[in-house]
Amino acid sequence: MTALLIDDEIQIRRLLRIALEGKGYNVREAENGVLGLQGAAYHKPNVVLLDLGLPDLDGVEVLRRLREFSDVPVLVLSVRNQESTKLAAFEAGADDYVTKPFSTAELLARLAAIQRRQGADENANLACGGLVLDPAHHAASLDGHALKLTPTEYALLAQLVCHAGKVVTIKQLLRAVWGPQSEDQSHYLRVYANHLRKKLEGSGISIKNEPGIGYRLELSECSNSRE
Amino acid sequence: MNDDNRPDPDDLLVELQRDEVKSKQGRLFIFLGMCPGVGKTYAMLQAARQRVAEGVDVLAGVIETHGRAETAALLEGMRVLPRRQLEHRGFTLDEFDIDAVLVKKPRLVLVDELAHTNAPGSRHSKRYQDVLELIESGIDVYTTLNVQHIESQVDIVRQISGVAVTETVPDSILDLAHEIQLIDLSVEKLLERMADGKVYLGERAELAISNFFKEGNLTALRELALRFTAEQVDRDLEDIRRLKRVSSPWKTNARLMVGVGPSPYAESLIRWTRRAAARLNCPWLVVWVESSRVLTATEQERLTRSLGLARKLGGEVVSVTGENVSIALLQVARERNVTQIVVGKPDKQPFWRKSLADQLILGSGDIDVCVVRPLAAPGKDTVSSLREPVSASTIAEFSWVLVSVFTIASLCWSLVGYTGYMFVALVFLLAVVLAALRLSRGPVLAMATLSAVCWNFFFIPPIFTFHIGKPEDWIMFGMFFIVALSMGSLTHRLRLREMAERRRARLTDALLRMTQSAALSAEREKGLETALRVIDETLHARTALVVRRADRSLDTQAHPASSFDPPAKEWGVVAWTHNHKQTAGRDTDTLPDSFATWFPLQTATSMMGVLGVRLEEETRLDFTTRETIAAFALQLALVLEKEHFIQAIHQAEILTKSENLRRALLDNVSHELKTPLAVIQAALDGTGREGPFLGEMATAAGRLQRVVDGLLEMNRLESGALHPSLDWCDLHEIIATARDAVGTALQTHPVSIHLPDDLPLVRLDPVLFAQCLANLLHNGAAHTPPGTPIKISAGLDGSNLHLAVRDHGPGLPPGAEIRVFEKFFRAENTPTGGTGLGLAIVRGLVRAMDGEVVARNAPGGGAEFAISLPGVETFHEPAVTP
Repeated sequence: MTALLIDDEIQIRRLLRIALEGKGYNVREAENGVLGLQGAAYHKPNVVLLDLGLPDLDGVEVLRRLREFSDVPVLVLSVRNQESTKLAAFEAGADDYVTKPFSTAELLARLAAIQRRQGADENANLACGGLVLDPAHHAASLDGHALKLTPTEYALLAQLVCHAGKVVTIKQLLRAVWGPQSEDQSHYLRVYANHLRKKLEGSGISIKNEPGIGYRLELSECSNSRE
Repeated sequence: MNDDNRPDPDDLLVELQRDEVKSKQGRLFIFLGMCPGVGKTYAMLQAARQRVAEGVDVLAGVIETHGRAETAALLEGMRVLPRRQLEHRGFTLDEFDIDAVLVKKPRLVLVDELAHTNAPGSRHSKRYQDVLELIESGIDVYTTLNVQHIESQVDIVRQISGVAVTETVPDSILDLAHEIQLIDLSVEKLLERMADGKVYLGERAELAISNFFKEGNLTALRELALRFTAEQVDRDLEDIRRLKRVSSPWKTNARLMVGVGPSPYAESLIRWTRRAAARLNCPWLVVWVESSRVLTATEQERLTRSLGLARKLGGEVVSVTGENVSIALLQVARERNVTQIVVGKPDKQPFWRKSLADQLILGSGDIDVCVVRPLAAPGKDTVSSLREPVSASTIAEFSWVLVSVFTIASLCWSLVGYTGYMFVALVFLLAVVLAALRLSRGPVLAMATLSAVCWNFFFIPPIFTFHIGKPEDWIMFGMFFIVALSMGSLTHRLRLREMAERRRARLTDALLRMTQSAALSAEREKGLETALRVIDETLHARTALVVRRADRSLDTQAHPASSFDPPAKEWGVVAWTHNHKQTAGRDTDTLPDSFATWFPLQTATSMMGVLGVRLEEETRLDFTTRETIAAFALQLALVLEKEHFIQAIHQAEILTKSENLRRALLDNVSHELKTPLAVIQAALDGTGREGPFLGEMATAAGRLQRVVDGLLEMNRLESGALHPSLDWCDLHEIIATARDAVGTALQTHPVSIHLPDDLPLVRLDPVLFAQCLANLLHNGAAHTPPGTPIKISAGLDGSNLHLAVRDHGPGLPPGAEIRVFEKFFRAENTPTGGTGLGLAIVRGLVRAMDGEVVARNAPGGGAEFAISLPGVETFHEPAVTP
């Protein structure tokens, strides 16, 4: 597994290299945006760690250009903790966002979570912990028992499961579930998220809210599997 | 629904705006009577006593009891305003004291005799203007009025009774009235009361009174009053109908127009038009066609008065230029979609000239022409206008004519032997044409006649007789006479026209020069100075400029470019002009004793200041000059407004720049501070935090990080750059997020959450709110012993969202309830490790969301922090079947 590290701070790069290599990653480094993009094209990494404050290009711009040719999972690592910046990063295609200073353990856990999503197939059954979704029949089961869901609830849950571990922005969820004309109807989303939360209570799966950004499906053990 | 039946939205808007203005204004109640003695004052006082009994603050501003005991008895026990004493030419006059009322600000003030003319030296020349100012400042007014004092009814009253009424009030004030109450009394009763001596008859001559109070007159006046009131009621009804969307059968698109000149009939035509327009409920124009003819002083004054009357009655005054009055009038009528033109019935007209009415009827096409019989305005000027005093210059011109004709005659006498008498005729013609270029009309015509006579007498054979022998000489004499007369008058008219053109061009040029110098000058002060000098030169006047300051109040001294300094007592009128956006001062109805006339510098959107113009002592402000000054004032206002906008843009640019700079700085600082912290933290993580030293380092790093976060957050709050972005939120979610954010610090305290089951979604900024809550939880956990519970409760009270965090620690030290929210405040005996910023940030965040946060000691121990946000939108979850 290859991880690409795009950050201009040599100390951060050195420390992260140690931590990542400890987890078995093959680490490549880039000290600015242009080199980072070249590295991503050349090394085809499995995961990218991206700083937003780069000397040559803005990190969000790097992300946008990266998304033109690759859908590699990207974890943004930045000192900026304003919601508007986070939202911009997510909308440009970031898979997760960690603010500096960070705890190394949490960073590694998040990195693992966003990588699991890799290779998910739209038509395959989606599963996350005890939760299994059957896209063909719009049915769901939790720990073997059928879960009663309305079509809207199912659509919302499918979106979250599909991106399990990753933040899905409010806009993305509204567009996917309610259609593009409903982008400002966030109260529906809140209501349905609440319904789902009640139905999933006690299953170890939680729907986490990132205020001002979106939702994330979280679980200690989460995996996608094909039927 | 049929569209035609719906009221015009614009009309509704106007109505609504009128209501809005009205709601801030005081209300006007008019007690209307047909003549003195019907008991208006009595009725007004009775109504006022009732209001006093209801507990309303009533002030009797001015009451004329005319010595009647019954009326005086009603005044007892009321607050009565003392009259103001005015000195005028050795007399002391009592007058209504408007300033005292404005200071006392009663709810309701009684002002008798609305049509009264104020004593010289008062603020306004008429009492109704005082009343207007009172209702504008929000005071209700009760007042009395006789129907003959209503401006539009003056002519009718004159026809009925033969009495010319001089004290009048404009009809517009009656439109303002909230309620008009008619005090009616039968004619027999009134005559009875008169016989009993109960009617005050004033200082009028006995004869006039007995003429006025004839039964026929009184009946007619009574009918007038009744009809007038009925019309008002009718209009109110129509307003109601329009608003209630009852189909409006009277939706007329009528528009009346009346052409006026400097004739004594103009005023009566204007009143007629106003009455007709009021009945049709339509707008009306008053058009004055300015030709090249120069008006005499009397005409000028009469015109100014007529147009002033038109404005006062609510007409729109349009002034156009043109030599042919009927063509100019028809052009305006077509441009303004006039449906009916009002014109006076012509009196004697020479048979070869068509009267104005005939010309209008010929050219009017689909516009109606209404020919009415006007009444000449009463007074001396009907006669005096026809006999202008003969000026000295005219006498000089006549003598010049006499001398030159006889000089030419004697010169030609010596030449006639060589040239023949035909040559002499040509010399005379030449002289007449040349004279017409210099002299006025009368002398030129006299010269033409005199030349013809001379030629006949001295040159046409037989000479020294007026007899002409040959028939061809007769024809020649006739031709000479006609040619001389018409050449003379034509040349003269051309010259006048040229003069008028030149005057107009001079004004236009002055306006252009003024605008250019003021707008294009590099230095504003210098530009304004040049502009004012242009006005001075053009009008032969002195000017003063008072400019609005940045805080929208008027400057307290005149602009340095002014050519006169307003005397100290002039500032009252300056302020009045600025506040009321109306022209005031000399030659106007408001404060006419002032030193200068003051014009508001008003643009479409704002008031930029006041321009004072002091004309030379003997000149009066006529209509043309007033229009010219108004044009100057508008240009000045536009220039000042432009300056104001430029400054505003400049200011905004500076703000944006500093905001960008601040943001860049903040980004840099946070980057520079947080990156090393991240390195330290990551390095500590890498070592696994084993050992006592590393543990201490980790704690210190954590604390440093909180301080840095707090400082940056505080900076963001204090720069005012924080704008809440509202979104629908679930309070459960927010509480969960806040708990996650606090993390391990909260693990030692059991947290209980108390939310109502049916709590709807609320619309607020989830990020800011979650941060507030997180800070409060962190604060609670840090200041209470481990194991003590923390309780979060929230609820909605109408649209008020309140949330409280209560701990069970030692509580707040006394007096710290407010100080805990100060930056870096630490209560005594608090554990170290905090930043001293948490609660200050909470207060900043809550205020950014327009809410308030308080701290208090909860009954039963522990501290409680309560946030309340007003005006929160809510969304109740619709019933969903799962």
